Amino acid sequence: MEWLERAGLLLVMMRRLREHESWCGETHIQKAAYFLQELLRVPLEYRFVLYKHGPFSFELRDELAGMQAEGFLVVQPMGYPYGPSLREGPAAEVVLKRYGKQAKAYRKQIEFVAAKLGDKRVVDLEKLATALYVTLEGRATGQERAGRIHALKTHIPIEGAQTALAEIDRMREEAEPVAC
Amino acid sequence: MATKTHEIRDPIHVFVRLDSDERRLLDSRPFQRLRHIHQLATTFLVYPGATHTRFEHSLGVMELATRIYDVVTTPANLLYDSARAVVPRDDEYKYWRRVLRAAALCHDIGHLPFSHAAEKELLPAGYDHERIGREMIEGPVLRPVWDTLKVQPQDVAKVAVGPDKYPEPLNTWENILAEIIVGDAFGADRMDYLLRDSHHAGVAYGRFDHFRLVDTMRILPTSEDGSAEPSLGITQGGLQSAEALLWARYLMFAQLYLHHVRRIYDVHLKEFLQQWLPGGRFHTDVEAHLRLSDSEVMSGLRDAATDPSKPGHEPARRLLKREHYRLVYEKNPADQERNRQSTRCVYEAVAGEFGPAAVRLDSYPAKSGSVDFPVYTRNERIESSLDMSKTLKEIPTFGVDYVFIDPSLREKAKDWLKQNRERIIPANGGTGDGVA
Repeated sequence: MEWLERAGLLLVMMRRLREHESWCGETHIQKAAYFLQELLRVPLEYRFVLYKHGPFSFELRDELAGMQAEGFLVVQPMGYPYGPSLREGPAAEVVLKRYGKQAKAYRKQIEFVAAKLGDKRVVDLEKLATALYVTLEGRATGQERAGRIHALKTHIPIEGAQTALAEIDRMREEAEPVAC
Repeated sequence: MATKTHEIRDPIHVFVRLDSDERRLLDSRPFQRLRHIHQLATTFLVYPGATHTRFEHSLGVMELATRIYDVVTTPANLLYDSARAVVPRDDEYKYWRRVLRAAALCHDIGHLPFSHAAEKELLPAGYDHERIGREMIEGPVLRPVWDTLKVQPQDVAKVAVGPDKYPEPLNTWENILAEIIVGDAFGADRMDYLLRDSHHAGVAYGRFDHFRLVDTMRILPTSEDGSAEPSLGITQGGLQSAEALLWARYLMFAQLYLHHVRRIYDVHLKEFLQQWLPGGRFHTDVEAHLRLSDSEVMSGLRDAATDPSKPGHEPARRLLKREHYRLVYEKNPADQERNRQSTRCVYEAVAGEFGPAAVRLDSYPAKSGSVDFPVYTRNERIESSLDMSKTLKEIPTFGVDYVFIDPSLREKAKDWLKQNRERIIPANGGTGDGVA
């Protein structure tokens, strides 16, 4: 996928997230993109590593910065206790018009992610996304996964990790990934 | 066991101190090689003072990283439970301090000759300087040093290359240590290179109050929407120093790092290396890497520049005899408004008119200058830096697109471009898809 196609898809995803009550900070976009790519197989082609609030793509961060530079996105401070929100910028409509159609092929997957994550707070997103990350690593199974989450992200207590894992297991059963 | 403290004079930090165990790392082949890797590649051909190397920069990063570590782990500065919980104690605390200092020294040891100038095109897929550095840290060359320092090479490598480049996930503490060195907002690497490049190049814009900034750094929970994840931030008193740093970065990019002559030198250097290196690429094994520095490449360049029979003669001559391609077009707001693909349009038109061999396109994608990090306010709350500072929110993006042409054709091409501009850059207000 070319970067402008991705930009169009991200803008569509952000609209859907907002429809589901998301305030759309970078964490929401990062985690939603992670679920889209890793759980639902939408070929965004980002590399995710464990970093800020869980799985994080430095490439996606650069692209979001590029989207700001091009006027597709603007940063809007939200005030305590939120971080800055990313909103559509003056040039967003042009991208959506020209490249938003690409997102149609992944409408179901985008809707799934927006419905599952849209109303989540950052504190919940980091637990859920880290739970998916640890699950997909395949190193730890069952209850061991909660221990691994806590070892990697010490501020996430074992009980919180267990709740997130249960939710992730349900989500994996419900998810309909893109056919290969 | 370390027996002695060594002092090294430094133009930025006055003295950099290290013990005799750390001195073994300093004396190792990978580190000594950095004496022969220019910090700013070919920039010294444009700014004659910029001859400093990654050797002194790495010492500077160690000094700054240690100061940051000491400030952010001081018990009185640990303001939140999540920060207190993440900082190790006693021997473990000392262990990680040693790891951090070693990682700071090693963070650039994988750099190729002339650093970033030609990294992407001249290494096999999947390789970059961080990977070469990691393999060197974890390999046999430095093993005796780690045994002396009593640190695990994997710990050093994780902190040196950071979460984006290490193949295993880092935990919260390791991420904080990596942030101290290579962090996007105010890592020691960035602080040192801005101060040092500014000093040596004679470009004053890179200066900022790093003493104040370091003193106000803290490990803070982001407190973003309920998250307690700790990361590096500052107290409100350091906000202006952080603003100054991020403005300094913007100005240094505009003035120095993206200078058009430096950019075309990189293009000619890459062309030279593609012809001069055996197989047209750098080797990735450690021995080959250690044997090659700027000195060997410079010698090859000088040799090739004067002898037409040598591989790489043409780009070497252009580089060393100031016969480099000249700027004929650069991206500008008016043309961007007209057509977001303006640079691509110009490049294709000029290459069509004068032949592709006479034209070069160079692009550095636009990046946002603003960075979000937690700020501990005077009323004891954590707020986003972008909420606290209009200045940080408004730092301009930086990025360039240049079209260069053979110097003998420059005037003709400029005239031609002036006469045909309307046709070459059609007004469609469209969205570019490559160079934007």
